[in-house]
Amino acid sequence: MISGSLSSFFVMYKTIQRSFFLTFFTDQCCFKMATSTSTPTHPPVRISLIAGRYLVFDIDAVMVLRRSFGLCGVLTGTMPQNPTQNLFLSMPQELRAEEARLVVDRGAGYVADEAGDHLRLLKEMSSGVGEKRREGYLRELREKRVAAKRLFDEEKEAVRRMHEGKRGKGKKKVQKVEEGGGGGDSLFETATAVQPAPEEALPAITPSTSNAMLDPAGTSGAIADENLPEPSAFYRELNKRGYFTTPGLRFGGGYSVYPSDPFKFHAHYLSSCYGWDEKIPMLDIVTSGRLGTAVKKSFMFGAEREEEEGGKKRGEGEVRMFCVEWAGM
Amino acid sequence: MTTLNQRTSALTAIVLNNLQHQHDWTALHPHTQPNLPRTLLYGLPPKRLYVHPDEQVEIIRAEKEMGNGGAGIPQEAELEWVLPLHLSEKWSPAQFAAVFDALDARPPRSREITKEEEERSPWLAYKGSRRGKRVLLATVQDDSTVTYYWMHDGLVKPRQN
Repeated sequence: MISGSLSSFFVMYKTIQRSFFLTFFTDQCCFKMATSTSTPTHPPVRISLIAGRYLVFDIDAVMVLRRSFGLCGVLTGTMPQNPTQNLFLSMPQELRAEEARLVVDRGAGYVADEAGDHLRLLKEMSSGVGEKRREGYLRELREKRVAAKRLFDEEKEAVRRMHEGKRGKGKKKVQKVEEGGGGGDSLFETATAVQPAPEEALPAITPSTSNAMLDPAGTSGAIADENLPEPSAFYRELNKRGYFTTPGLRFGGGYSVYPSDPFKFHAHYLSSCYGWDEKIPMLDIVTSGRLGTAVKKSFMFGAEREEEEGGKKRGEGEVRMFCVEWAGM
Repeated sequence: MTTLNQRTSALTAIVLNNLQHQHDWTALHPHTQPNLPRTLLYGLPPKRLYVHPDEQVEIIRAEKEMGNGGAGIPQEAELEWVLPLHLSEKWSPAQFAAVFDALDARPPRSREITKEEEERSPWLAYKGSRRGKRVLLATVQDDSTVTYYWMHDGLVKPRQN
């Protein structure tokens, strides 16, 4: 029964979230280039590195990334018991390593080693350092329990009402007995009784998140830049020019490249990145070109120019791009 | 033993024949240049092979303004570059970049489009000053099949096929 209510809640949440995305994310056709020197107007985006994956759990952060940095990532959230395989998944948002690195380099956020940071924060709470944090965390826990209690009560009440209705239809006698017991009045009484309950009556819960431990303006557990993967000049260039990218496997390439937000546009290119002197078999170019044309896109490949001596260091060189499409003859 | 030069010239000959006899191209010429890795071709297709999507928009707009009973603006063919390749070859981005760096956007003997013409009919700029660098990749297989693919220098949005 509880799982039923949770899943219906989840579906509702997803529907709301989807319409929310469509209305709020797409009101800006092109994202404005945010320069690395500009002071951010949002709290630093926390990218959680968990088991080698870069995840963003905060919906506000997801919006910031999409609006101001041209990053749409991939929404990956689904119900473990009832996984959906369509496009409309929910939070968290997963970023590619190079996207995470881009956010860090633009000064918009940080990558946090989530497992290590979690343990550190928990340990600190039992010592004097984290006393304030401890209080906040306990308060948050209590609020969660109150919310859980409310949910349980509503559920119970709904079930009770349902059974009452059924009985009323079938056997009039039983209904009479219940009326005698003041069943009608108790319905309203329980509805008002859903208000915050005393501590003893609150259900015990196992918290599944611990974000209350975090200071939203802080950068707790941040990983140093040099320990993050190297940026790809090719991807950087695309982002700089205002293109959005999504993983390209769906169309048979390395990236799908959109001229603006994928909610508004079809991809223009399916693209792959090569080394400057990497030999590309002609068959790859022909098959990708053919595939691209078949899905109304152009196959685009690019490489960062490697300077001879004394040139720019990796990741800062000129990026050359080429587009291949069927000639129609 | 055939030398590399002979092999590539054989390749050029196959592509030239194919264009001339199967695809009815005219005015075909080989083109050599010291900074080019091999002989390229340029020639005139029987009808226009490539129209940039933005040019298409300009043409449609102009046709609408003219409104002469749906009769389109006649599209004259233009000279195109052809790069003969064999399917077994492997080229690096550096090599493609070198070809584009060595070439002009418009092959020699292309019709000059004057500034006045471009101002009068904006779509003509896509044959003149706004023409991007593009090369027709002619990929030959051992069974003498030749496939043709456009390669553009830089980001060029796809045509609405």
